Amino acid sequence: MSIIEVNSISKAFGATRAVQNVSFEVTKGRIFGLLGPNGAGKTTAIRMINHILIPDNGTISINGIDASPQTQRMIGYMPEERGLYKKMKVGEQLIYLARLKGLSRAEAEQTTRHWLKRFDAADWYNKKVGELSKGMSQKIQFIATIAHDPDIYIFDEPFSGLDPINSEMLKQIVIELREQGKTVLFSTHRMEQVEQMCDDICLFNNGRAVLKGNLRDIKQSFGQNTVLLEFEGNHRFLDKLQHVRINNRSTNFAEIRVLDGQDMQQILKTAMEHAEIYKFERVEPSLTDIFISTVGEDNINANDLA
Amino acid sequence: MSIQKIFLVLKREYITRLRSKGFLIATLLIPLGMIAFIGVMVAITTWDTESQHRIGIADHTETIYPRLEETSPAKYRDLSNLSKDSLRSLVLSETIDGYVTITDDNISDQKPLEYISSGSGGLSLQSTLKADLRRAVQSERLNRAKVSEEVRQIYDSNISMRTRTLSPEGTEKEANTGFLSIVGLIMGVIIFSAVIGYGGMLTRSVIEEKTNRIIEIITSSVKPIELLLGKMAGVGALGITQLGFWIATFFGLAAAAGPIISMVAGPVQMPAEAASQASGGFDPAAFNIPEIAPSLIIYFVLFFILGYLLYSSLFAAIGAAVDSETDTQQFMFPIMIPIMIGYFIMIRAMSDPDSTLAVVGSLIPFCTPIVMITRIAITDVPFWQIGLSIILMLGTFAVTMWLSAKIYSVGILSYGNSANFKELWKWIREG
Repeated sequence: MSIIEVNSISKAFGATRAVQNVSFEVTKGRIFGLLGPNGAGKTTAIRMINHILIPDNGTISINGIDASPQTQRMIGYMPEERGLYKKMKVGEQLIYLARLKGLSRAEAEQTTRHWLKRFDAADWYNKKVGELSKGMSQKIQFIATIAHDPDIYIFDEPFSGLDPINSEMLKQIVIELREQGKTVLFSTHRMEQVEQMCDDICLFNNGRAVLKGNLRDIKQSFGQNTVLLEFEGNHRFLDKLQHVRINNRSTNFAEIRVLDGQDMQQILKTAMEHAEIYKFERVEPSLTDIFISTVGEDNINANDLA
Repeated sequence: MSIQKIFLVLKREYITRLRSKGFLIATLLIPLGMIAFIGVMVAITTWDTESQHRIGIADHTETIYPRLEETSPAKYRDLSNLSKDSLRSLVLSETIDGYVTITDDNISDQKPLEYISSGSGGLSLQSTLKADLRRAVQSERLNRAKVSEEVRQIYDSNISMRTRTLSPEGTEKEANTGFLSIVGLIMGVIIFSAVIGYGGMLTRSVIEEKTNRIIEIITSSVKPIELLLGKMAGVGALGITQLGFWIATFFGLAAAAGPIISMVAGPVQMPAEAASQASGGFDPAAFNIPEIAPSLIIYFVLFFILGYLLYSSLFAAIGAAVDSETDTQQFMFPIMIPIMIGYFIMIRAMSDPDSTLAVVGSLIPFCTPIVMITRIAITDVPFWQIGLSIILMLGTFAVTMWLSAKIYSVGILSYGNSANFKELWKWIREG
């Protein structure tokens, strides 16, 4: 059952067409990844789902209701650009944000205290946000996102700027939320996070959705056309390989996408001539490679996929 | 639009500011500053008029100097026995400020007197000198004409005038133009500073939400227009609170302040002409125990609110258009121009509240709150002018609010760079 339905939405800012005719559906109880390089239109799409921006064309419905102030209450949103009022106290601030989501004063206070306790932060209640460390205020930011107990959680680039501890904690929260039957949508340009967490994905490039569906199915459809190679020796021989694309390369490791159905044994042979091989494995392509294959090498800025 | 959300935003804006130390300090210090300012103004106008001038009188008639000495012995020195050259060298060595030579021709004929000095000594010196000399010469001329005692008394007698205003109920009241002028000035200055002060506060508040990056979290719960209205109302409520406190304090202190001011200003006796010139149109001696019509207070609050609404909508748009406080300058400038024009018209309106300039100024919406309140304080403004000015202000507010809402809704989500006027226009069309 799809809980978020996006039907051919478009949004332009002057001459810039940020999102063009994008459709996708998010299924209830699953983790949905919105990925693509910076500037692909992910944030604009997310803002439209959150009813912060209104699409020029197309419709968005949440739980069958058109995006509106009513649907905003069903969503917990953590934007990429995030922050809090520095001069406000933690407790007051969380209560204020929860009340803006429609909770009563008593409900807001109760949930604030509950979550602060849960994050071992009960004694921060009367502290000003400005006095907290960065990691501490990131926790407060999570609470602000989830305190009103929505069914849907939207995180825009959630891992950017997080310290490793909070990053791990967020992963736990996301997985926990799914176990509770909640729906999570997050955007990222870091493919490995998607591979670890997402059930379904939608790939954005230049404002268009270029690939979407179940992550497992997508990977399988590309077949085992990739070689993981671990070796010791001079890595220059990699440059001699033809009809391949090397996606991930270091002095003793390479992820080699084999093009044109070339025989993989040839690659192994070349490698053995130049270096000592520790590992040679045929695998499904990485998401990075799928992305490159889908949009074409010329259409992306490689730095965006770091 | 959800009134409940607007109210939540209002409450947050209001409470967090009300509790801040800065607000408390400003609320207490601004009236003290104002009292000090007015005190200094009164002190300057009364205390400074007789600066220590020394004027040499070369009186070859021997009739004028004794009269001048009677008027002001410290100021005039009898230098009748000195030659022209020594008088000149006294002027140049700054022993005296200047000298006047008086001969029979000045009295019997209409030959003008000449005041020779190293510098003009200012308008007030010239006018007191002229008045003193005229009285002395006139008196000598009357002497020589051997006029009767009766005629002499006619010349000596002063004409005094009291002003009384007629109320619509037909009762006459003592007019208190001097006091009301000051009240008008204070009210105009308060609205002038409130518009800039609270407007600036709102701009900073909008920028703060952008730089804190909390704005996107807020807009995922609240519509931009709800946020904007809530913020304007919250800062406005703060202004009303501050103003209410000041008005209450003023009435509390008024009874005490009145006698103090008249005590300072009362004993000073000045030639009327000098007094009016030195103090710019009002006589400090006219201070009295204040009596302010309740309707004036109501109009003051009304124009305070209207002025705040009109300008705060623009100040909020500035906050949305820029990325940091340092970038506000280019937009502040066009807003400050009408405020400053209003301020200068108000200063003129103090001395002539019914002049065309004052009337027109009080009807231009961007100047109305400052100019109109001063006029209302001082003179009886026709009701149609007040009504028209209010309607014009409301109409202008509707337009600025509409523009501001558009700029605001686009601007709050654009990080990283400040817009220019061209982009603002684009936002208005997009929003």
